[in-house]
Amino acid sequence: MASHPNSSVTATWPSWLRNLPMILVALGAIGIVAGLVSIKDHGQQLGYSYLLAYMFFLSICLGGLFLVILHHLFDAMWSVPVRRICEHLAFLLPIMALLFIPIAYLAPQIYPWMSIDAHHDHALKAKSALINQKAFYVVAAILFAIWSLLSYKLRAWSLEQDKTGAAKCTRAMRFHSAWGIFAFALSLTMAAIFWMKSLQHQFFSTMYGVYYFAGSVWLTLFTVYIITLVLKNTGPLKDVVGRRQFYDLGAISFAFTVFYAYIHFSQYFLIWNAAVPEETFWYVLREHGTWWQIGMLLIFGHFLLPFLALLRIDFKMKLAVMGPLCLWAWIMHFCDMSFNITPVLQIFRKAQAAVAAGHGDLSHNMTTMTPDGFAVHPLDLACMAFIGGVLALVFIKYFKAHPAYPQKDPRMAETMGVYIPSSSDISIASGGAK
Amino acid sequence: MATAPQTQTSTPVLTRTYGIIAEFDTPADAMHAAEKVRDAGFRKWDVHSPFPVHGMDAAMGLGNSKVGWFSFFGGMAGLTTGMLMIWFMNGFDYKIIVGGKPLFSPLYAFPVSYELTILFASFATLFGMFGLNRLPRLHHPLLRNKTFRQATHDKFYVVIETADPKYSATETRKLLESSGSKHIEMVEE
Repeated sequence: MASHPNSSVTATWPSWLRNLPMILVALGAIGIVAGLVSIKDHGQQLGYSYLLAYMFFLSICLGGLFLVILHHLFDAMWSVPVRRICEHLAFLLPIMALLFIPIAYLAPQIYPWMSIDAHHDHALKAKSALINQKAFYVVAAILFAIWSLLSYKLRAWSLEQDKTGAAKCTRAMRFHSAWGIFAFALSLTMAAIFWMKSLQHQFFSTMYGVYYFAGSVWLTLFTVYIITLVLKNTGPLKDVVGRRQFYDLGAISFAFTVFYAYIHFSQYFLIWNAAVPEETFWYVLREHGTWWQIGMLLIFGHFLLPFLALLRIDFKMKLAVMGPLCLWAWIMHFCDMSFNITPVLQIFRKAQAAVAAGHGDLSHNMTTMTPDGFAVHPLDLACMAFIGGVLALVFIKYFKAHPAYPQKDPRMAETMGVYIPSSSDISIASGGAK
Repeated sequence: MATAPQTQTSTPVLTRTYGIIAEFDTPADAMHAAEKVRDAGFRKWDVHSPFPVHGMDAAMGLGNSKVGWFSFFGGMAGLTTGMLMIWFMNGFDYKIIVGGKPLFSPLYAFPVSYELTILFASFATLFGMFGLNRLPRLHHPLLRNKTFRQATHDKFYVVIETADPKYSATETRKLLESSGSKHIEMVEE
C-alpha cells in the first residue's frame, strides 16, 4: 500500500508540526545525555524521570488496547471509524517493550526494595514471592509478550478485513478480545504494581491497578479525541467521522472522569477510614510540602473541572472546550503520575544519605522520611519529549502505511447512518405476498 | 356535552376542535412534514410515531431537554443536604467521636452525601420530567380519536393544535396536504 492516500496526510501540515516528533526525539535525547553527564547519581534522577514519562505514555498505549477490546466485546457501532487509531496506539506496545530497556537497566537505582535485604524487612519478606528481582524481569517479559501478541492480532485481523471483508476477521477479533480482556486486566494490574506501586513496597492497596487503569483510559480518550479531530480536519477521516463519534468520545471521557474519581476516592477513603499505618503512610507522606496542593489539584482539576465541563451535551462537541480540556487532561495525568512516582525519589535520596551517615536502615527511613514537594525536573521533560517523540514517529509511520479507518467493517455503513438492506430483508420483501 | 363558552360564535358548535391530524405511512414522510411545519414557525404541535425516529428532534427543531437542569440542581441539593445533615448531627448537635476520627470530615460524610446526591437527582429528574410534560393527566383529546390508534401500530402522525397562533383552518390543512399526507382530519377536544 505504498501509494495509499494517507501517505500525503502530513503534507498539508506546517513544517514545524511535521517535524515536531523528530525535534522532540532530538531534544529529548540531547537532554537525557546532558543529564547523564552533569548529574552524578548513577542514573537515579534519570531513572525516575524516565519511569514517570514511561508510565505516562504506557497509559495511552494500554488505553488504546482497551478501547479496541471494548469495541469488539460490545460489538460497538459508533467507534468503527476511530478504531484504527486505537489499534495503532495499542500496537505501540511492542515499541514500549524496547523503551523499557532503560528501566530494566536502571531498576536497582529506582526501586528501593532492590537494595533492601528481605531478611531485615518484614513487608518485603512477606511479599518476596512476587517482589523479587527475578520476578521483576520475568513478569516484564511476560507482560510485553501478552501485549504485543494481543495488539498485533487485533490489528492484523483488522487490516486483513480491509482486504477481504470476511466475517471471520470480525470473529477472530472478538475471540482475541474475549481472552484479551482478562489478560489485559491482569497484566495492567501487574504492570502498575511492579513498576509504580512497588516503589514503596510496604504499601497495600487492592485498588491500585484499577486506579492506574482508570486514569489511563481517561487520558487515552482525550488523546483519541484530538487525534480524530486532527485527522478529520486534515482529510483522512473527513467523510466517516461525524458529530456522533465526538459526542460518544466525550460521553465516555465523562464516564471515566467520574470512574477515576470514584476509584481514587475509594482508595483514599478506605485507607483513611481504616487508619492502618501500613497503608496510611503512603498518603501521609504525600501531604508534605507542595504535594498536598497536588493532591488537591487531583480532586479539583482531575475530577471536578472536567466533570463540570463535560456535563453539558453541546460542550462535548465544542472544540473551544474540548481542545483545552484535552491538553488539561495531559497535564493532570502527568501530575497524577508524578504524585505516585516523584515523592519516592525525594524520600529515597534522603533515606540513602541517612544510611550513609549511619542513621537507621533503608526500609525504616523510606516510611518515615518526607518528600520535599512537587517539582518538574528538566530530565522529566526530556524523557517525556523523547518517549513521546519516538511514539509519535512510529504512530505516523503506521498511519501512513495503512488505511485510515476499517475499510470493510460490517458496522461501517451503520455508524455513518446509511441503511443497507440485508439479504434476508430482501427475501422477505420479495416473498412477502406468499 | 362539552361546553366552550369563549368560542361560542354565531354558528352553534357542539365540540371545540383540539387540532388537525395528518397521517403518514413512513418515518421519512413524517420527518419531511415535520421539517415543513418547523420552518412554517408553528409552536404547539407534535409528531407521534410507534418507535423513536432518529433525527426527528432536529427535524422538529427541538433543542436540548431541560430535564438536565432538574437533575443538576437536585444532585447539588442532595450533596448539600447530606453534608449539612451529618455535620449537624455528629459535629454540632450531638458531638460524638467515632473511631478516633474528627467530629466532622467531608470524607466520612461522603458516602451518605453521595447517595443523597443520586437520590435527589433521580427524584428531581423524574418529577421535573413529569412537570415539563404536564403529567400526570387523566385525558388527552388524541386518545379519543379513532385514527390516532394506529400511532402505536404502523402509522406516523403530525398533530398541530388549533391553539397555535399560526394555525389557520385552510392554510394549515394545505401545508399538511402539500407535505404528502394521505389522510387529514380534525381532532375534537
